[in-house]
Amino acid sequence: MSESFPLLSFLVFLPVFGIALLVLFGRHPERCRRLALGITGATLLLAFTTLVTYADGQTGFSRLSENATWINQLGIHYSLQADGISMLLVLLTTLLCFLCVLVSWHSVKTEVRLFHAALLLMETSVLGLFLAADLFLFYLFWELQLLPTFLIIGRWGHANRTYAALKFLLFSIAGSLPLLIALISLYLAHGFQTGIYTFSFSALRHTVLSPAAELWLFTGFVVAFAVKIPMVPIHVWLPDAHTEAPTAGSVILAGLLLKTGAYALLRFGFPLFPEMAATSLPLLVLLALIGLFYASFIAFAQTDMKRLVAYSSIGHMGLVVLGIAIWNRTTLSGAVLQMVNHGITTAALFIMVGMLDERIHSRRLADVGGLWQTMPWFSGFFLLFGLSAVGLPGLNNFVSEILILVGTFGSHPAAACFGFAAMVVTLAYVLRLIQKLLFGPAKPAGELADLNLRETFVLLPLALAVIYIGWHPQPLLNLLHEPIRMLLHPDQTLAALTVIKP
Amino acid sequence: MQIFLLPILPQIILAGGGLLVYLTGIRRAEKSAAGFFLALLTLAVCAAVALADIPTTHTVMGTTAYGGFSRFFILLLSGVGFLSLLLIRHYAETRSFSSDVLYGTMLFAVLGMIGVAGAEHWLVFFLNFELLSFALYLLIAVGKSRVDNYEAAIKYFIMGAVASGFLLFGIALFYAATGSLTIAPLLAPVTRVTDSYLVTLATVLILAGIGFKISLVPFHLWTPDVYQGAPAPITGFLATGAKIAVIAFLLHLAAPHATPHPIFGPILWWLAALTILVGNITALVQRRVKRLLAYSSIAQMGYLLMAILAGRELGQQAVLFYSAAYVLMDLGAFGALTLFSGGDEDLDELDDFRQLGYRSPGRAALLAVSLLSLAGLPPTAGFIGKFLIFTAALKAGYIWLALIGIAGAVVSVFYYMKVVVALYLQSQRTTRETAALEWPAVAAGTVIVTLIFWLGSLPAPLLAVIDRISQALS
Repeated sequence: MSESFPLLSFLVFLPVFGIALLVLFGRHPERCRRLALGITGATLLLAFTTLVTYADGQTGFSRLSENATWINQLGIHYSLQADGISMLLVLLTTLLCFLCVLVSWHSVKTEVRLFHAALLLMETSVLGLFLAADLFLFYLFWELQLLPTFLIIGRWGHANRTYAALKFLLFSIAGSLPLLIALISLYLAHGFQTGIYTFSFSALRHTVLSPAAELWLFTGFVVAFAVKIPMVPIHVWLPDAHTEAPTAGSVILAGLLLKTGAYALLRFGFPLFPEMAATSLPLLVLLALIGLFYASFIAFAQTDMKRLVAYSSIGHMGLVVLGIAIWNRTTLSGAVLQMVNHGITTAALFIMVGMLDERIHSRRLADVGGLWQTMPWFSGFFLLFGLSAVGLPGLNNFVSEILILVGTFGSHPAAACFGFAAMVVTLAYVLRLIQKLLFGPAKPAGELADLNLRETFVLLPLALAVIYIGWHPQPLLNLLHEPIRMLLHPDQTLAALTVIKP
Repeated sequence: MQIFLLPILPQIILAGGGLLVYLTGIRRAEKSAAGFFLALLTLAVCAAVALADIPTTHTVMGTTAYGGFSRFFILLLSGVGFLSLLLIRHYAETRSFSSDVLYGTMLFAVLGMIGVAGAEHWLVFFLNFELLSFALYLLIAVGKSRVDNYEAAIKYFIMGAVASGFLLFGIALFYAATGSLTIAPLLAPVTRVTDSYLVTLATVLILAGIGFKISLVPFHLWTPDVYQGAPAPITGFLATGAKIAVIAFLLHLAAPHATPHPIFGPILWWLAALTILVGNITALVQRRVKRLLAYSSIAQMGYLLMAILAGRELGQQAVLFYSAAYVLMDLGAFGALTLFSGGDEDLDELDDFRQLGYRSPGRAALLAVSLLSLAGLPPTAGFIGKFLIFTAALKAGYIWLALIGIAGAVVSVFYYMKVVVALYLQSQRTTRETAALEWPAVAAGTVIVTLIFWLGSLPAPLLAVIDRISQALS
């Protein structure tokens, strides 16, 4: 039941095709930027129209699935599949990559072509990751992300960039190689049991594993995802990577890369090993809550704006992990929505910190203050995104956070209480940030340019998304309804589907 | 008689071609364009012969095999020779050692490699082994104006002599024990032929000799010095060709469809584990790229040994695929070093690589792609190769070895990235002249990069070929 035109493949590989265009025509920096903008814009448009066109009923996105034999000898297939969760994240990806090109318009001045090539390669690998249905293909995209990120942080980052880039790379590799071993072991176990050697996710899901084997394989999977999400205590690469990366790099890291870890946990980690996942619930919930509190406390003490926002990422992703771990319909909807919301809000915060950095060439909170007087538009947007990060009702984060916490309260009230308490600590450091930046005496002395047209154009879609999702999240939640039901009850047949009412 | 000689036609072609190349140097020893093109032609014909499915017996007097397996390696090793010739051409001309001796000797080295890979008789193996070694002694010393080359050549010679001594003694013991000089799969489980302590001792000695040649730990101490001292393209040639030829022979000895040997299974396990660990960890502290690549190639041999140990179909396929991938990656890395090196010293110090990614983007891309493939990052051939090796190891039940391999792979990413960091991320330090680019080198570089990416994204065709070869062998 698939369309004849490989729309998903086209979507995934359009940025790579764009790299070819850049190599051929993008010698001049201005032309290169415009080309990159065009390519990312086209991808965004394609993603949006795909989402809107195919989001009907329960067979909508499955019409887009593709399957081709790739490495027959090993049972590896090139198969892509979309559903509500992936398409939402795909839309987020294309939007953020488009905004990254705009954000770097003036800040990346050297090796412009290489920068945009790395950005486009990153976009392809993230898109492919969200759409892959074959575990080998997924792993390939998972590893593919590493090099462009390394390059972006290491080449166009701030003072300590090489160290941050290497740290990021090593943590990621140290996490993903155990994933490879676990993947191969799962593949071999399945082949040993059924005689069919395949990497297709839908087949591997039915592998019967002994509890000990399941424990080790689950650990292998979760370690890799935990490094990416990141979960405390293997989060230590994140503050350096986010702080030293250029603005576009931070946006991609926080907005997209962290989501790949959470998505993989949701899509592959838990469904492949359901018993182990249930057993590990207390540990995951504990780690998530520790992450929330720890990140909030550390963020409160930060003097570097970017580092503060970086630590807020750890906190928000902790909520996502909480939602995934509890594994019921409400929290899963909340978790996926939180992924999207966090992507929007944190990206916006990083972008705004980057804009400030361009003006005053400093990221220290002490160097800046009273922006409400000198840059009213900037401050307005900043206040909006700050309040969104806090979880103010009416803005996007509130919806996802309340879904997660209320869903948790039903089965684990203690955890939910701690979660609510963590929201208060989050409030503390964000308010501190807002107060230091926007209010108080104006510094540095002198005129600071308010938002120009390009910057407003970048922030506007994010702001609109924040408000829209806050007031009217139902369309997105409707998109998620069916995929989450499939995640929770994967073995129900089509006949049963028609009986169950939403 | 023609049909009788058909199986060794590649070797006849190479020997004939080598002699003809030497002949071209009779009148004009310099300006050896004739020798160069003749050598390229010889290798191309040899590869074509191997590719063509000539119906013939599969062995010549029980001395040399000519089945799918041998033809694969003949093709691979001819390719190594071909690419090495392309890479060395301009390098040798700038340093004025581009002569018939160079090209002819390379042909004889390839001849030795092919003989080693396909040998079925101990004497034939030893003769080809010695031919290979002698050719390599000459090649390492061929850049005659550099003292480093002589030192490296002498070190290689001493190592080679010791290795040959071990080998010969082992062969003699084998003959004493069994009365025959036909190569038996010594590392496979014990058969009536091999069930004696003398044969076990012989195998130990032969394994030691082989270990020297492919620089397994603890026989690896010569490798960094020789790799550093030899001219970069020759290092590439010997790191890929000589090692892969001996690996092919080792694969032959291990008879991949067997369960592990009671004594040699554990020995090979320890050799593989130590090689992977020592190779990767020592590479971490290197500041010179040639030494770094030397230790990296030691570690790569550890992975290949892991696949040989894993055995059975999957292990054999992994070895064949990774041999091809390894050849490409290492030739790419050393080739890039060759292309970077101006008229005097080889580019070696890590600091001298800074910013080369932007000054010479093509060559730096070759180096970066080769290093990424060596590190095992997708979508390169190295990624698929490592994947195959780990799958084979896990399927055969060697979980701990696979975990050691993983640990080694993580460590290796760090030191490969050190070079990539220097190329692209660090600020300018020196202003070394970079060499001009000539068409042979550009052609070789392009082929290597294309193949690395092609094998990394579409490995199915090569895997199909390898599958057929291993089916035929079982």
